Amino acid sequence: MSRGGARILLGRLAPLLGLVILCVVLALTSPHFLTADNLVNVLRQSSVNALLALGQLVVIITAGIDLSIGSILGVSSVVLAMQLRAGVPPLAAVTGTLVLGALVGLLNGLLLTRLKLPHPFISTLGTMNVARGAAMILAAGVPISGLPDGFRMPFNGDLFGIPAAVIVVAIAGLLVHLLLERTVYGRDLFAIGGNREAARLAGVPVSSRLELAYLVSGLMAAVSSLVLAARMNSGFPLAGTGAELDAIAAVIIGGASFFGGVGTVGGTLIGALFIGLLRNGLNLLDVSAYWQMIVIGVVIVAAVVIDVLRARQGD
Amino acid sequence: MKRTIGVAALALAIAVPGCNRAPEKKGIALVTKAMDSEFWLVLADGAKTAAAEHPDYELVISSPDREINVDQQVSILENQIRRGVKALIVDPAGTAQVNSTLEQAVARGIPVVLIDTDAPFAKKSSYIGTDNAKGGSLAATGMVAAIGTSGDVVLISGVPGNESQDARAKGFLDEIAKTPGIKVVAQQPGNSERQLGLTVMENLLTAHPNIKGVFATNDQMALGAMEAVEARKLRGKIAIIGFDATKEAANAIVEGKMTGSVAQSPREMGRQGVLAAIALAEGRTVPKLVDTGTEYVDAKNAAKYAK
Repeated sequence: MSRGGARILLGRLAPLLGLVILCVVLALTSPHFLTADNLVNVLRQSSVNALLALGQLVVIITAGIDLSIGSILGVSSVVLAMQLRAGVPPLAAVTGTLVLGALVGLLNGLLLTRLKLPHPFISTLGTMNVARGAAMILAAGVPISGLPDGFRMPFNGDLFGIPAAVIVVAIAGLLVHLLLERTVYGRDLFAIGGNREAARLAGVPVSSRLELAYLVSGLMAAVSSLVLAARMNSGFPLAGTGAELDAIAAVIIGGASFFGGVGTVGGTLIGALFIGLLRNGLNLLDVSAYWQMIVIGVVIVAAVVIDVLRARQGD
Repeated sequence: MKRTIGVAALALAIAVPGCNRAPEKKGIALVTKAMDSEFWLVLADGAKTAAAEHPDYELVISSPDREINVDQQVSILENQIRRGVKALIVDPAGTAQVNSTLEQAVARGIPVVLIDTDAPFAKKSSYIGTDNAKGGSLAATGMVAAIGTSGDVVLISGVPGNESQDARAKGFLDEIAKTPGIKVVAQQPGNSERQLGLTVMENLLTAHPNIKGVFATNDQMALGAMEAVEARKLRGKIAIIGFDATKEAANAIVEGKMTGSVAQSPREMGRQGVLAAIALAEGRTVPKLVDTGTEYVDAKNAAKYAK
């Protein structure tokens, strides 16, 4: 194997290695960590972030960023809860919520490609605030609670001991993986992230592909709202505040590059699990609030440092 | 060009409904920590009711998006000071961080009334709010009544460094320490958010499976913790006590899903805050300290808060 090949392999394995090290440390320090019950618990807790991160991954691969997903999660959860409370059948309410998420995502894409806003940071920052405001207005600032079992069961129940939320993540992960690795759309997204100008010259329809990427991101945020609302038995306008940052952290910890063109579904899911395990471990060990902030901050910076070093070696 | 005009028109269409024409009235500003729960809405409602009785004053109510955005609250305060309001009613999101801004206000002759959260700000004209430490001790007494004089309990607290949340936690810990059989085995932050209340409670139930009770320093976190207890089918086995006695929490108490909560009077804070601000703006003096009262809410009296 060439040195380059070894380096790529190491880059791919780094997130998994980090996860294993974290698990060993937690297993040694807390007697409650390595139990089936707790591990299933962590999977369930990581599911919302995992779904958001899958959408974020698609966007980050194009060298973009989507800051609006936490707010899309919030507004979707509110619209979902309002429909369910108004007696709309669960299937219709879920469909309506997914369409809403996809439309807001598409709007992000259109702002970027049609209005030619200079960077997705701007367009999605705008949408982030608008969507959060809309959620607060629709819900009049308070949570909407008491959702019907017909909705909650498929997203919050268990199937052979596996939480439904985890199954949702597995299905979504598989679909995103197929999109990225097995379709011409996915190849185009990597090409755009690798070198946008070259992709354009090679005939890639850059605008419509970017619109697709942001649509997927918005859609995944709406999917995450289904899981969260079922778990919390409510839709609430503040849901997902700051969640975009956890999702970005998961994608980066998972080995994707902020510079675009690099990223895998497997890595991203490991990244989401890493953050979930970290928070779980900090709770189990009763680490003080202040130290929790420091630990999480250090891990995020460390992951980005690794990304930067990797990119530099690649030059 | 056409596109530019289109964008400009769009921006105007968004901006215009959001800005009110400023009439020639004396302005007073109420700045809360957030506007994302029933507590703030009731407080704002109390303030509006009081302001409506004084038509020559215009009340502006604003807040940061989240309690944790202290810097945003500082900016709002600076804006209100520059606007030249006659008095400020402030619920400080971070008691240390807002101090220098409040100093500026007083230096410009704008009196400051603190509500809900007290701050070590010497030049405040008045503090109107709950004795949070007393509320915390009421929760501890409720805990003892619910689980007896022995057992492990956990505490889910607010944003670290938030004075009123910290005071509740301290009041609870001080009172519970008088019952040596009860041990607080963990204290973890839930940042006053429901989602974190759920996650933290799940993790605490894993680390301490034998706990008999949880005190969360607000109802949002208590309702999150409640979902964790419900999911594990432990209803009735773990006492859940929150703070605020919001409608939702009171309903949960009536249904037996939650054990208790501590009621404050946000409406009184809003109402008396505005009345004090107007009195100060007109040169009158006001009492330095007003306790708007606390009441422990459990199954016996939850109905009146549940509606």
